[in-house]
Amino acid sequence: MSLKRRVRKNIWLNEWNDIVRGASGGFLLGTPLLYTMEVWWIGSFAEPPRLLISLLTNFVVVFLLIRTEGFRRTGKIGLIDALMDSIETLAIGAICAAIILVLIREINLATSINEALGKIVFESAPFSLGVAVANSALSGDRDGRERTSRNNLSNGQKHLSSHSKTAEINATLADIGATLIGAIFIAFSISPTEEVPMLAAAMTPPWLLATIAASVLISYGIVFVSGLTNQAKRQQQQGLFQRPLSETVMCYLVSLLAAALMLWFFHQLSIDDPWTVWLSHTIVLGLPATIGGAAGRIVV
Amino acid sequence: MSQLNRQSNLSKQPQQRERSLAEWVTFAISLIVLLSIVVLVFSSWLKVGERPPVLVLERSGEVRQIEGKFYVPFTVTNSGGETANTVQAIAQLRINGEVKETGEQQFDFLAGGEAEEGEFIFSHNPQDGELVLRVASYQKP
Repeated sequence: MSLKRRVRKNIWLNEWNDIVRGASGGFLLGTPLLYTMEVWWIGSFAEPPRLLISLLTNFVVVFLLIRTEGFRRTGKIGLIDALMDSIETLAIGAICAAIILVLIREINLATSINEALGKIVFESAPFSLGVAVANSALSGDRDGRERTSRNNLSNGQKHLSSHSKTAEINATLADIGATLIGAIFIAFSISPTEEVPMLAAAMTPPWLLATIAASVLISYGIVFVSGLTNQAKRQQQQGLFQRPLSETVMCYLVSLLAAALMLWFFHQLSIDDPWTVWLSHTIVLGLPATIGGAAGRIVV
Repeated sequence: MSQLNRQSNLSKQPQQRERSLAEWVTFAISLIVLLSIVVLVFSSWLKVGERPPVLVLERSGEVRQIEGKFYVPFTVTNSGGETANTVQAIAQLRINGEVKETGEQQFDFLAGGEAEEGEFIFSHNPQDGELVLRVASYQKP
C-alpha cells in the first residue's frame, strides 16, 4: 500500500519536474522577446487568420524539435507521443508567456481579448521553442563541474581541513561568476532599450513585489528543479551559500546588481535619478537578469 | 500486472512509452488550454469581421485642481472591431464662445474593445466654460 502510494507520488513529482524543466527552457528563450515592444504591437493588431497561421507554424516547428529533443527525459519517441508532447509544449509556452505578460502589465483588465490573444500567441512562440529544447539547453552538468573540481582538489591536496575553506570560497565565487555571466548574457541586450523605463513606468509597488517573487521562483525552478542535480548531491555541494534558498536569494541580489550596473552603463539611470527610479528599473531588468543568471549557474 | 508494467516503463523508458496518470492529466489540461486559444481566436475572428474602429472620447472621473491647474481625466474607447493606430485625442476649452485652451494626446494602439485613460491639463477652470472632447484622427494599421 505504502509502496503503491510512493510510486504514485513519484509519478506526479516526475511530471512536475518535467513541466518545470520545460517552463525553465521557455523562460530562458522567451524572456528577451517579452521585453520587445514590437512583439506586443504585432500581437496587438494581428488579425485572427494570421494568429491561426502563426499557431500552426509554431506547432510544426515545435513538433520537429520534439522529435529530436523535448522537455521530458525520454530520448527518442514515437509519432503520437511527439504530437502529444507538442501540444503540451505549446500549452506550457502559452501559460508562461501569459503569466509574464500579466506581470509586466502588458495584459491587464483593460486589454481586449483580441489583443491579449495576439500577444500571447506571438510571445508564446519563443517560449514554446524554449520548452521544446529545454532538455538539451538545461542539461549542462552542474554536478560535473563540482565533481571534477572536487577530484582535482582531492588529488592535489591531502590536507582536507585546509583546502575545505578555499574550496568553499572557490565554489561561492564560481557561483557568483556564473550568475554574472548568465545575467549579462541575457540582460545586456535588453538594458539599453526603451522597454525597461516603459515597463517600469507601469509598475506599482505591489507589481514590483510580484516581479521580485516571480524572479526568485523562476530562478529556483531553473536551478533546483529542472537541472540534472538530484537532492542528495545538491546537499553535498560546497560554497558559503550551498543551501538552495540562500543560493537563490544571493544570486538574485547579484543579478539585481548586474542589472543596475548595466542600466547605469547605458545611461538609462544616472546618479541624479531618485532612488525609486533606480529601484523600479532595476527590478524590471532584474527579471531577465535573474533568469540568465540561473541558467548561467547550470550551464557555465 | 499493469502496475508492474508501468514501473518497468518508468525505469526503462522504451520507444513506445506508456503514459502515467500524471502525464495524461498534463496532456488533458494542455489540450484544453490550446483548444481554448484556438476557439477564442475563431470567435474573435467572427466578432471582428470587417468592422472598422469606432472611437469615443469621454470625460471620466472628477476634475482635480492642483497648484492652479485643472486635471481633467478622460477615457478613449474603441468600440469597433479593428485596431486603430496613433489615435489623436483633442480637447478644447471654450469660454464665452472663444477657444481659450487646447489639449492633445496620442495613443499608439487601440485595439477593438480596448480603452485607454489619460488627463488633459488646463490653467482655466473647465467649469467656467464648455469643454469639447473629440478624437481627431487615427491611422490604419
